[in-house]
Amino acid sequence: MKLRREKSAALVPRIPTASMADIAFLLIIFFMLTTSFSPERTSVSLPESEIRTEVSKDAAIVAISSQGEISFTDGDQPAFPLVNIAELGQYVKTLVAAIPRKEFLIKADRDVRYELVDGVLEQLRTNGARRIGLLTERKPKESG
Amino acid sequence: MKFRSRLQRAPEVPTSSMADIAFLLIIFFMLTAVFTSNRGLQFAFPKEDPTRLDVQPEEAVHIKITGEQQYLVDKTPMSLGSLAGYVEAKMGQNPNKPVIIQTQGHVPYRVMIEVFDVLRQLEVKNISVPTESEVERWKTFGVFE
Repeated sequence: MKLRREKSAALVPRIPTASMADIAFLLIIFFMLTTSFSPERTSVSLPESEIRTEVSKDAAIVAISSQGEISFTDGDQPAFPLVNIAELGQYVKTLVAAIPRKEFLIKADRDVRYELVDGVLEQLRTNGARRIGLLTERKPKESG
Repeated sequence: MKFRSRLQRAPEVPTSSMADIAFLLIIFFMLTAVFTSNRGLQFAFPKEDPTRLDVQPEEAVHIKITGEQQYLVDKTPMSLGSLAGYVEAKMGQNPNKPVIIQTQGHVPYRVMIEVFDVLRQLEVKNISVPTESEVERWKTFGVFE
């Protein structure tokens, strides 16, 4: 009587890796779909608010970094830094002339001095921007 | 003479490197993914005529932010909590009452957003954020001192 079969010793132990690729490709598809290539990539820590409404995706963005550097994008072209604030007025004017209902977003760091934001608002308003939004982050709910 | 060995291996597509390639791509997409914020606070659309003041300043609630946790509401210092209560009471009387937020230049931006957010939560319809030069212009009308 044989207790062990001779043949089983010949089976090589292996880890099944065929499904690994399936999982990986699933994750790739997820990241590809969720990645949106935004023309504005200045890293700022946005101020927090509880009320947040959806803003249009093709809006022009004025970014103010924590160092106070201002950059601008019309929503299609990559963002470029502005030398002075008066320069912004010219860009806004030409954009508004082409698309009167163009939305302008202010993406400012939460700790910048308000006068910088005020200067940007001034340029937007005097050059005819009608729709202006302030980008914010979700405010975590306070307990109690 | 034998040309073929009788022991044949099962045909197999090598798939072990597929996972490596896939994970490499995942890492690429994870690093390039910027979680863009596309939500925020919007100003109410102003009237079509930009020369007209859309707010009658004398009947508005006037909030002046002079520093962190320092708010002057109609010239009375208040905390953010009592500011909300004050504005809510005013809204109860007149839901269309305009509210003006005036922020001093040295104050951090987030303080202004905090007040703006509170007003939005109270469903104030008419929020006005005048710029410094607009405030100057209003001063000539004797609205602010």
